Amino acid sequence: MSSDPEKMMSKADKMTKLTLTRWSADWRGATELYEQAANGFRASSKYEKAKVALEKASKGQEMQSSPWDAAKHMESAAALAQKLSIWNEVADFYRKASELYVECGRAQPASDALGKAARALEEVKPEDAIQLYTDACEILEEDGRDQMAFDLYRACASVYIKLEKFADAATFFLRLGVAADKCDATNSQCKAYLSAIIVYLYGHDLKQAEKCYNDCSQIDAFLKSDQNRTASRLLTAYNEGDIEEIKKVACSSTVNNLDHAIIKLARKLPTGDVTAVQMNAGDDLDEDDLT
Amino acid sequence: MGLVDLITRVDSICKKYEKYDLDKQREANISGDDDAFSRLYSSFESALETLLQKTEDFSSETNRAKAVAMNAEIRRTKARLLEGVPKLQRLALKKVKGLSHEELDVRNDLVLSLREKIEDLPEGSVPANGWTASTSYTNIRFDANLSDDRVDSEYFQRTEESDQFKQEHEMRRVKQDQGLDFIAEGLDTLKNMAQDINEELDRQEPLVDEIDSKIDRAATDLKSTNVRLKDTVTKLRSSRNFCIDITLLCILLGIAAFIYNSVK
Repeated sequence: MSSDPEKMMSKADKMTKLTLTRWSADWRGATELYEQAANGFRASSKYEKAKVALEKASKGQEMQSSPWDAAKHMESAAALAQKLSIWNEVADFYRKASELYVECGRAQPASDALGKAARALEEVKPEDAIQLYTDACEILEEDGRDQMAFDLYRACASVYIKLEKFADAATFFLRLGVAADKCDATNSQCKAYLSAIIVYLYGHDLKQAEKCYNDCSQIDAFLKSDQNRTASRLLTAYNEGDIEEIKKVACSSTVNNLDHAIIKLARKLPTGDVTAVQMNAGDDLDEDDLT
Repeated sequence: MGLVDLITRVDSICKKYEKYDLDKQREANISGDDDAFSRLYSSFESALETLLQKTEDFSSETNRAKAVAMNAEIRRTKARLLEGVPKLQRLALKKVKGLSHEELDVRNDLVLSLREKIEDLPEGSVPANGWTASTSYTNIRFDANLSDDRVDSEYFQRTEESDQFKQEHEMRRVKQDQGLDFIAEGLDTLKNMAQDINEELDRQEPLVDEIDSKIDRAATDLKSTNVRLKDTVTKLRSSRNFCIDITLLCILLGIAAFIYNSVK
């Protein structure tokens, strides 16, 4: 066997091409050669070629009906693409890997693959990252493993927060709440609801926050929790325009137990003192109208 | 005769000749032998004396439980005395022969002053902490009945000591509050961590079960493989069989060669 990866590649290519002399492609041999070539390229830091080799190896495995190995090769190819910063390939490869994993019937690695993709694309293409996260969560939910989805939901919501799309972020937190409800994870559920309320407040949306709070109060687990009290304190402080109280609540230990991103939002909370006072003035006007 | 007998004897003799005891007679005289008023008044005064003594003991009492018990007793006695004062007043107003009008007035005044004295008895400088029943289960408030204005007003008898005590009490209460806040924060963190650990364990339980079953399968596979391997190896290594095989083979070959030679 030639140790030169290039030669191996060309040999393997020849094995797979159908010609007059070759009526059926020898995928087994070809795949082996491709794998060896890929290792060789990786050792010599020729990542582009290694990536191509892995792609072909994965195809070979697929032809041999072993989706697991195919998926593994795809993931390695995607990791190399990430190193080379070819972002659309990253997304594609990881998606393909995830599909192959689903073919194997293994939901967890599938969603893991999508999660890795999303994390890689967070900085560069956040919308794609969000799509990937959503798909990953769906895969897990279909399989009934909601608990694994918590982290994905949280990551997705933090991406939305970075993009300053607060309503979407809050929606994701509420979805987290639903998932937590299915698994009876009351602590995560209550924390998710509190995070959603804080996000709404940060987005200057007091009405939404109050509606959200009212909805969540229907849920027993939330009603009996610390987070409920913190939320009610926060909302009353907002309604009264009491900035000191808002700051105190934002620094309380309940808020400190939430996600990192949410804590940062909470610390900045009285977003413009004007809003709090405005709310107050709005209430006064309403009272006048009634009388 | 024994000491005990001696003592009992002496007691009985004393009792018999009590009327000759001058000191006692004088005391009895002083304590009003003529009318009920004087008698009652003197009993009230003695009770007041003991109560005053008790309050002094109370303020120097360090053991909190004992202090509380004393406090309760003082209050009880005070209430009883206050109840008895009206009766005393009635007695005072009754005319008794052998007494002038002035003395009657004096008696009235005495009764009133006695009443004031009783009411002035401090019930203790440490107010009870009020524990208010809470509607929301977390709203535990301490010292709800203690309002500073009550303490500042002339509700309690003020002395330098009690002022100092009050200040110290305030300081200690503030420190206690700070300490409790600190503990509360720590407990919050602990609670959060515990709940997270709980959820994590719930999450990992099915995974561990899966690992368990997979490893069981792998273990049984390994066991059967091992057994088969052992059988094969013993069969191979069993030297007797091996030697027999070889010798038989040689014999066969020899016979074949012999036949071949003879046929040729």
